[in-house]
Amino acid sequence: MINATNLSKKYSGQTVLEIPDLEVPKGQRFGLVGNNGAGKTTLFSLFLDLIEASTGKVTINQIDVQTSEEWKPYTAAFIDESYLIGYLTAEEYYYFLGNLRGVSKEEINIWVQEFEPFFNGEILGQKKYLRDLSKGNQKKAGIVGTLIGKPELVILDEPFANLDPSTQIRLKKLIRDEAEKHGTTFLISSHDLTHVTEVCDRIVLLEKGLAIKDIETTPETLKELESYFSN
Amino acid sequence: MKSFSLLDFLSLSKKKFFRAPQWQFKLAIRIFLGFVVLYFLVAFLFLGIGGYYLLKKQNPETDPIFLINSFLGLYFAVDLLIRYFFQAIPVTEVKALLLLPITKRGIVRGVLLRSLGSIFNAVPLVVLLPFCIVHSIENGMTYSVWIWFLSIICLYLSANYLTFLINKSNKIAAVFLGVFTIGYFLDYFFSFSISHYFGMGLEFIYTNLYWAAVPVVILSTSILLADKFLRRQLFLDKGLSKKKERIIGSNLDFFDRWERMGFFLKNDLRLIIRNIRARQVVLMGVLFLFYGLFFFTQDQYSEMPSMLVFAGLFITGGFMITFGQYVPAWDSEYYSFLMCQNLSYRKYLKSKLYLMMFSVIVSSILSLPYLFFGPKVMLIIGASGVFNFGFGSVITLYSGAFNTNPIKLNIKAKAFENTQNFSFIQLLFVLPKLILPLLVFYLPYAFFGFYAGLLGLAVVGLLGLIFQKQLLNLIVKTYQKKKYQTIGSFNKLVS
Repeated sequence: MINATNLSKKYSGQTVLEIPDLEVPKGQRFGLVGNNGAGKTTLFSLFLDLIEASTGKVTINQIDVQTSEEWKPYTAAFIDESYLIGYLTAEEYYYFLGNLRGVSKEEINIWVQEFEPFFNGEILGQKKYLRDLSKGNQKKAGIVGTLIGKPELVILDEPFANLDPSTQIRLKKLIRDEAEKHGTTFLISSHDLTHVTEVCDRIVLLEKGLAIKDIETTPETLKELESYFSN
Repeated sequence: MKSFSLLDFLSLSKKKFFRAPQWQFKLAIRIFLGFVVLYFLVAFLFLGIGGYYLLKKQNPETDPIFLINSFLGLYFAVDLLIRYFFQAIPVTEVKALLLLPITKRGIVRGVLLRSLGSIFNAVPLVVLLPFCIVHSIENGMTYSVWIWFLSIICLYLSANYLTFLINKSNKIAAVFLGVFTIGYFLDYFFSFSISHYFGMGLEFIYTNLYWAAVPVVILSTSILLADKFLRRQLFLDKGLSKKKERIIGSNLDFFDRWERMGFFLKNDLRLIIRNIRARQVVLMGVLFLFYGLFFFTQDQYSEMPSMLVFAGLFITGGFMITFGQYVPAWDSEYYSFLMCQNLSYRKYLKSKLYLMMFSVIVSSILSLPYLFFGPKVMLIIGASGVFNFGFGSVITLYSGAFNTNPIKLNIKAKAFENTQNFSFIQLLFVLPKLILPLLVFYLPYAFFGFYAGLLGLAVVGLLGLIFQKQLLNLIVKTYQKKKYQTIGSFNKLVS
């Protein structure tokens, strides 16, 4: 699904990320962990062609993200609140995304009902602009927005942060269901080792811009990661 | 508890300034603006000194102060109006101070004191002070002049503090607006001038010094009111909260008939009506519609067709010039998001181009009343419209690629502090945007006459339309080259 070769990012001579080779196959739930400054967001920004790679390239379905825009139709991402349009209501935001991804207003209205339990009655029909929602609710609205039009690749940065415990549990179920139903590939970064090991079937550990570990999730993975981070 | 002094506030403001991104650049602009302000100060100074002699010359019999009194009422009304739109109240910066061991009284005082530093308060000082000095020199030192001066300062500062109330409460603003409207109608239909009675009140002060107590009382009351009001606002769910807004413009389905482009248009209209900053800028664009009244009504300009064309360009392109120059910065808050949606750069830019073309159509329709000034004026407006529609829109969009300063959408721009989106490159682009169309008009005009000039404008506009696809390709390339830089500087907005 997504391929990075010889990828690196330097800021004024200092290397902040160096990924010689990384491949995420289709349908994988890929987890990215690491301390602050490890390069998680940098990696995602490179995947989405939001920053320029110093060396190497990223391809999504064999399409070089830097030279073509053809990866956009089946890719969706929610990195932070700036991925919302603050002056729209949640519904209007979904219609906006629907329009871009070829889903009609009526289809959205039906589709979005599915997420009512996840929204917990705090997103739809609120008569509020997205900028006036709480951080947690903004995140909920944004995460569901990425799923509109069944994209093949969904990138979520810290999706569990700021969410209340019930929503965290619902989100894990949501991700698993989507991956199963539509074969969606998920790239998820998180500081929460428990959640990320539960929901992902592969974990890559970044440290100072390097991929230190690349493991398939087993029942022991959580312990392994915890012992790594406690040193 | 330690009281929070003005000095502490100043030190915070200083840090805010010097630690902002690109502060060196902003400093340069501040210095530039400083010169502008200085220029105005000197101009006002001369107005103050020269004003005395001018008034005296016109009416040698009356004391100039009486003449000034007669229009001060109107002046105060306009002053309040300008303050309402441009004087920003530094309330939101207070949040961080709430949990520190500073008394609330100290915080409120800090805010009240700091508001005195507003540029608006300097005007009476620089105009009236020299005026009063000249008056004293010419007529001998009378303290009644100085009591009058102090009274006016008192009223001025009252306006300063009343702005706090007007700005934060729509009800109070409505009351003031009501009073102004009623005052205007009374004046217009019944020749009952509030301003006149206001002036008479000021004469009382000048002739009978006991009346000077009134402005002092007004000032103390407004300080007290502002103080009390601010004190009540110092809670997270009151003045420090984001105002809860009603949803407006939810019903714009009308535009859906143009499918994708209508859809983008709809979104941009929402951007405009739902964000303070955008509304402010668009209002300026609307004011340009009236620009023609200035030129078409005066005979001296009818011999200067270039000036008339200049007006025509502003009438049909006012919105494009004010709003369009900040494309794509209007989307800066969520630019990365747009960049990874199923939306090619080309389509995105095309939608912006259509927005500008749409605005030219709307402006042209709204300028139909200029037909009143005759068919020649209408031809000027028509030719300017075609030029702006086909070519001006392209130029504006192209220049947008070089404007990478982000815009905070829902925040008021302050008067004289609008450095956020001021860039020299934008300034450079003003030249081709204004000079080029005039040149396009002037060259054929100089050789073949007036109508050839207009034809020139229209032809260039049509050429822009015919080659729109090619021009757009060029624009897309330019934007693509600057993509990472634009994203990078737009992202600085968030924190």
